[in-house]
Amino acid sequence: MTILYLLIPIAMVMAAAAVIAFIWAVRRGQFDDLDTPAVRMLFDDED
Amino acid sequence: MSQLSSQICDHCGLRFTGRSRPEEEEPQRLHFCCAGCQAVYHALHGAGLEDFYALRQSWSGQARPVDAKTLDAEDRQFLDDPTFLEENSELLEDGTRRIDLHLEGVHCAGCIWLVERMPRHVDGAVEARLELTRQRVSLRWNPDRVGLSQMAKWLSKFGFMANPLQAENVEARRLSSNKMLIRVGICWAIAANVMLLTIALYAGLDAVSDPGLYAAILWTTLGLSTISLAVGGSVFFRRAWTTMRMARLSMDVPISLGILVGWGHSAWVIFIGHGEVWFDSITVLIAALLTARYLQIRGNSMAADAAERLVALLPRTARRVLNFGGAEESVETVAADALQVGDRVEVRSGDVVPADGCVIRGVGQVSRAVLTGESRPESVAPGTLLEAGTTNLASPIYVDVTATGEATRVGRLMAWVHSRREHRAPIVQLADRLGGYFIALVLLAALATAIAWSFIDPSRAVANVVALLVIACPCALGMATPLALTVGVGQAARRGIHVKHDDVIEALQAMTDIVFDKTGTLTEGRPSVVDVFGDRSAAARASALETRSSHPLARALLDWARDHNDHAQTLVEDVEEVPGAGIKGLVDGRPVALGRLSWIDEMAPLSPAARSWAESRAADGLTPVAVAVDGEIKSVLALGDSLRPEALDVVRGLSERGVAVHLLSGDHPQVVDAAAQRLGIDASRSLGGVTPEDKLRYIEDLQQSRPDVRVAMVGDGVNDAAALQAATVGIAVKGGAEASLVAADVFIVQSGVAPVEELLTGTRRVMGVVHRNLIGSGIYNVFGITLAAFGFISPLAAAILMPISSLGVVASSLAQRSFAEEDETLPASPQPALRELPTTTTVPEPTP
Repeated sequence: MTILYLLIPIAMVMAAAAVIAFIWAVRRGQFDDLDTPAVRMLFDDED
Repeated sequence: MSQLSSQICDHCGLRFTGRSRPEEEEPQRLHFCCAGCQAVYHALHGAGLEDFYALRQSWSGQARPVDAKTLDAEDRQFLDDPTFLEENSELLEDGTRRIDLHLEGVHCAGCIWLVERMPRHVDGAVEARLELTRQRVSLRWNPDRVGLSQMAKWLSKFGFMANPLQAENVEARRLSSNKMLIRVGICWAIAANVMLLTIALYAGLDAVSDPGLYAAILWTTLGLSTISLAVGGSVFFRRAWTTMRMARLSMDVPISLGILVGWGHSAWVIFIGHGEVWFDSITVLIAALLTARYLQIRGNSMAADAAERLVALLPRTARRVLNFGGAEESVETVAADALQVGDRVEVRSGDVVPADGCVIRGVGQVSRAVLTGESRPESVAPGTLLEAGTTNLASPIYVDVTATGEATRVGRLMAWVHSRREHRAPIVQLADRLGGYFIALVLLAALATAIAWSFIDPSRAVANVVALLVIACPCALGMATPLALTVGVGQAARRGIHVKHDDVIEALQAMTDIVFDKTGTLTEGRPSVVDVFGDRSAAARASALETRSSHPLARALLDWARDHNDHAQTLVEDVEEVPGAGIKGLVDGRPVALGRLSWIDEMAPLSPAARSWAESRAADGLTPVAVAVDGEIKSVLALGDSLRPEALDVVRGLSERGVAVHLLSGDHPQVVDAAAQRLGIDASRSLGGVTPEDKLRYIEDLQQSRPDVRVAMVGDGVNDAAALQAATVGIAVKGGAEASLVAADVFIVQSGVAPVEELLTGTRRVMGVVHRNLIGSGIYNVFGITLAAFGFISPLAAAILMPISSLGVVASSLAQRSFAEEDETLPASPQPALRELPTTTTVPEPTP
């Protein structure tokens, strides 16, 4: 089980990366509007 | 009464009764419920945007006719004002400008599609992005190629009204909401990882089997939990500390205590080397509670927008006149805030008056639409008092300032709204207080348990105390009550009932009296000709006088005349409207007068038969209108506003529940009395001929009559602002003027009294949920604490039970069906095959 001494820190680093990505997305305003993008997918672009 | 058919409007797809707007060009007959739908339909087809109909989702409810006038964006000139743009928009590096505006009238996918196509149709518009839930549009444009007001005008063609936002506040709220979201994200990430790591402990890992790994996991979870405490727990610690300094115990106190004890003891366990750790429970607790708080914050920010839109409509700049009346009179542009009482300002055509004041030079017309909802222009002359927010329509006028900024009528209204916002719902305050007693009780119980067990079996003392502290969850009080209220408010909003503060829900529950405004709420709001005495065709031709009139009765007369006219063309000349009396002019060369009985009587005396007929109709609650041709009485028409069918049931339902129903209206007293009688409202509680000041005084008197009285006022907004403010709960129906919407505590976008009843039933259900939560959590706590004190619950079990109980209470709040969605929608788009064939033919409009 000593491999866990390596795996757990790696997992922590990955989790930290995910959290940083989340913070970045929130700061960019990606979570401000959760409803409209879903609807926007329905539109056809004629060009 | 004429035959009214039920048809479906070709634009909005809603059912409507009454005349269809006439359509000149046919291949197929088109029907529209109102000028608004007609205009938008043609605008869409004209611009090649018919795909809109495929995308837009169905509306529900009744057709809401819209005046063609509201689609005109002349008063949006200030959007191009450089100072306005400076303050509210941002200039980007590529030279384009970006601004966020509130867009009224958007509600579905079709609207998003339409709005976001603007760059294709407006040269110079770069991007338009719509956020549907908050009705906010973000526009980017090239200032050299197009002006913002032009873009607003394009949007208004489709019925979307653009209004400015208070940029700073909106941005501030967005930032604070995002900060909270970040905290929530971090805490959940930590909680999830701690839970994963703790699985090892549950699986049996301990100091014996693998001391190294055991220690590693303990220290890791300790580290992560500490971060969680710092990031998430601090929110609760801070609030708990501030309330404790005020010698009060709020919900945050037991929460903070639970978190700290849990963490503290677990850390202690690590240091002394043996015992249970509960980092997983603590981190999940923090994350869950933080989420609830975030949802609350997000819910609150939407309510704040409405009030701020009103302030945003006031101009930021003013044109101050120097040396007024003197030889070197000149005008300088100053910030509106810099105005002083006694300053003279010039208000140009199209500008908004920046402060309260008195007209000192200039004759023209203004629109008080923002304040009163009356889109009809009013004449002004030197001496007229104007309020900040009024729009000047015609020639420039000069105003002597009497009140600025917060002292203006609008400013005072805003201040009142702000002060109300700090007000917390009584039940939430009660919950806080109970929480205080509760925590005191829990601490005592914990102490007692500790002492007792230290005698009986010291090794179990700590475990039991911790179990007790962990299981004694005040979550129902702290979190679920506001959550139940917030969710209820959200559900109501989806039904078009916008409740501004949580405490309104509770106040509506305790309501003792309700005051109705007659027009538009209990009645259809539209007068129609009910009965005729005398020469019908003469009356029909005479009604042609009303073609250009904006008098409330004009529409009724014209509609009726259209039915009874023998399609003869009438020539109308020299029309003169005599305010408060009637209208006169030449019809086909002959002098005709149409109006109030007393006025017509002066010119052409009524016969006794006519008079008695008119009086009997008036006693029935109708409004008599006399017609005189060539100085001779020809006919008398009786107009009335019919009661809505559901009005009677609603009033009866209210009386049965013990709520006293009152009726106040500006209408003729006899009309009001008749209506009151038909509705079963006590004569002592109904009043006609009431002015806005009278309404205010009536409500104030009512509130002082008994100590426990709670008055709800239901008004259609126009001129009711003061009364709505004075009532315990002000309900504005049918979206009247901005000012009244701000003054009211609830505004309902549909007209009629059925939504009012929905509001009352819904609030009752929400309070039911709140009480259910309180009782449920009370029972849980009593059992939990008792069992923990007697040692039947281990800290682990407590750590599991407590989140379950919180989840249960939260789930019960979220799952409430207080304002259920009723499925009364029509087919999505009015395909020709599905459209009903009209049962009456639409008569072509008589040419004036």
